[in-house]
Formats: sequence, structure tokens, C-alpha cells
Amino acid sequence: MQKDDFSKSYVVEGKLALPYTYFAGRLGSTFLTTIRDQQKIMGVRCNQCSKVFVPPRQTCERCLSDIRENWVTLENTGEVINFTVVREHDKHLPRKTPYILGMIRLDGADTPMVHIIEGVNPESVSEGMRVKAVFAAESEGTILEIDHFIIS
Amino acid sequence: MGEYYGIDVADIFNSMQSRFRPEGAEGVEASIGYDITGTGMWELRIGPGGMSLDKRDELTGCDVVVHVDAQTFVGLNIGKIDAMAALGAAKLKVEGDFNLFAATGKMFTKYVIPGQEVVPEQELLVLKKTISVNQRFAAGPVMGTFLQGLKEKKILAIKCPVCGRLQSPPREICAPCRVRNDEWVEIGPSGEMRMLEYCYYASPDPLTGETRETPYGAIGILLDGCGENEVFWHLLRPDQLDDVQMGIVMGDSVVHGSRLRPVWSENRNGSINDIKYFEIER
Repeated sequence: MQKDDFSKSYVVEGKLALPYTYFAGRLGSTFLTTIRDQQKIMGVRCNQCSKVFVPPRQTCERCLSDIRENWVTLENTGEVINFTVVREHDKHLPRKTPYILGMIRLDGADTPMVHIIEGVNPESVSEGMRVKAVFAAESEGTILEIDHFIIS
Repeated sequence: MGEYYGIDVADIFNSMQSRFRPEGAEGVEASIGYDITGTGMWELRIGPGGMSLDKRDELTGCDVVVHVDAQTFVGLNIGKIDAMAALGAAKLKVEGDFNLFAATGKMFTKYVIPGQEVVPEQELLVLKKTISVNQRFAAGPVMGTFLQGLKEKKILAIKCPVCGRLQSPPREICAPCRVRNDEWVEIGPSGEMRMLEYCYYASPDPLTGETRETPYGAIGILLDGCGENEVFWHLLRPDQLDDVQMGIVMGDSVVHGSRLRPVWSENRNGSINDIKYFEIER
């Protein structure tokens, strides 16, 4: 029986290509083009619940009212309310590991958005730190129109 | 006069003057007749001085005459109907200088229902990407033996010690008998066509990331030495898709399919692609 004979065992290297199309949606497109063209971060406000959502959403998650028209401009500054340190390297990641992914609540918003935090090493990052958006010189219409948030 | 899409034919003509774009009519000196079935006839004259429009009883002498029903005419003007489609459906007939008719598109801005002017379309972001994921397949001793066989132009099957059935590609275990397979048998390499799947949609090949051309034939071949359902799956030579005969077994009647032989790759490295495909034996 071949059971313990591994002389014929070997590894085949493969490469899988995954083509995909991502549509930002109407709100998402406005959100991203405003960051790109005006370096301005916008959210949408539910007037009934007095909540400001960013990234923007069409419908209030609480009262389900349509809030797609209620754009508000937020500050480029905010607070780290949570974070994680990415340590496992993968070629698709936007940074060399280790880097910090933070949940950042912008001033004027009620929900956090996820982004890269720089200007502090992974050992020293903590909740409550103040950050400021650094806009990208060039991007391809993704959330990386904001290059990262830097500790201020 | 009826209304179509909430618009009267007369509204379109009455608004022509205000929708006229001199820059789109530069150098044009012509007259265009509109024969709107059951509604009336209009003559539009374009010249260095701009445009003028008159209701007519007949349209002789126009450089081009457009015959169209009122609904189609309104539809064309508001962009609900495509001119080419209307021509194809014979809802629109153009008599005379067709290029002149086609040029009218540039001479006017689109008709907009008063109060329904649309704001310019916003920019919508679409990101198209192809990401590539590295993968490693460990062949293991049993599949490894099979793949090494392909390298030497041999198709190997593994045999169950209890029921005697052959499996290729091989598995360690005969599932119905729940025993370990232990004997290697060389099968084929030629055989008989049993099944053909005509594939129109190809998913990416996990080994190369490439998507093969469609349609292609995924086939089940009963290789020599195998019996009943012991078919081997591979590809058919693409240009022979419509030439192969499928074999069928129905009770006692057996219809034999085309005889097929493998076409081996020049550079074999122990992968299923060491066989390029199977082709008809002639």
C-alpha cells in the first residue's frame, strides 16, 4: 500500500484570477468624488433620529426613513474609538504589515468609519486618540482618496 | 391631437425655436419636412439666418421628408425611442437626404417637459479589478501517482480490492466498499465518448487564472479497460465539438460513441493539463 510512501506526493502551484466590478452606488459615488474633488468628508443625517451616518447610507438604520438627500459636511478630524493591528501580510493589503486599522468617529458624525492610522506605532495606539485625515494626491475612486488618518 | 408621454406633438414643434442650436446647424442650408401621421405636416428650414418652421399641407420640395406616427415622433424627441430601432420597425421612414435627417439631432437640444428639467447626471464610480490569489495544491501520494503517470503519458486508475471498480482520477478509498484501494492499473489511453457537456460559461482555471474559450466540451470518456460508469473526465478538442458522437447504453442496447485519443502536451509537469484534450481517432 502506498499509504506511507510520499515519494509521489508533490505540490502544484496555482494562481487564481478573480475579476470583479465594484459599483460605489449613488451615495457612495458622491461621498468619494467629494473627498477627491473638494477634500471634504460628508455624511448623511437622519433628522428624525438626529444621527449622522458616515459612510453615507440611503436609509436610516433606526427609523428607516429616507435620508439620502440630507448631506452634512463633517470635520476632517476625529477620534479613535477602536482599532486593530494588521500583522499578517497579504499582497492585496494597502500597507506593509504591521499597520493599524482604526474605527474613527469623525467630529460631527455618530458612526465610525474604518481607515488606516499612521503616526503612532502599533504598541502605542490607544482609544481616544485624536486623528486628522490626510488626503491622497492620487487615487482610483476608492476610500483611499483619504490616504490615512494621522495622529494629531 | 393626442398626447403621448404627456406631450403634445405641437409642444415639440412650438419649442423648436428655443431649442435650436446654431452651432449644430452651421453651414446647413436645407429644408426638412415632417409628416406626422394623422396630425399634420411641418416644414423646417435651416439657413444662415437660423431656422423657421411652418405648418404645410404638402411637403414637396423638401430635401428630406420624415414620415412618422405621432407617438414615435414624441418618443424620439424625448429619447424614449431609438431612431435606429424605429427605422428597423418601419415606424419611421426617411425619404430623401438621410444624412440631413441624422444631422437634426445636433441642431436641437432635447425636448424637456416644462418643470421636469433634469439635473446633469452625477459621476458614478465603478472600480474594475482583477485580483490574483496564489494557491498551492498538495497532490498527496495517490493523486501524485496518477499525475506522475500523466507525465509519462500513462493514464492510471486505482482498483478496489473488494468490488474491483476502477477510479481515475484515483481516490484513496472505495467509498461504497469502505476499503483502501491498493492496486494500480493502466487504462486507455484511448476510449469511447460517453458524455458531452457543451459549456458556454467558463470559470477561471484555478491553476492558471485564465478563462478558457467558450463554448468548450467537457466530456466523459470510457477509456479502454474500464467498464460501465468508469468514465474519465477531460476536454474535447474545441473544433470537434459538433463532430463527436455520444455513446449511450439503454438496457441491452449499446450505441457506441466516437473513439477518442488523448493529445499530450509537449511539456508535461504532472498536472491534469499534461493531456491537452481528447480528439477523434480517425
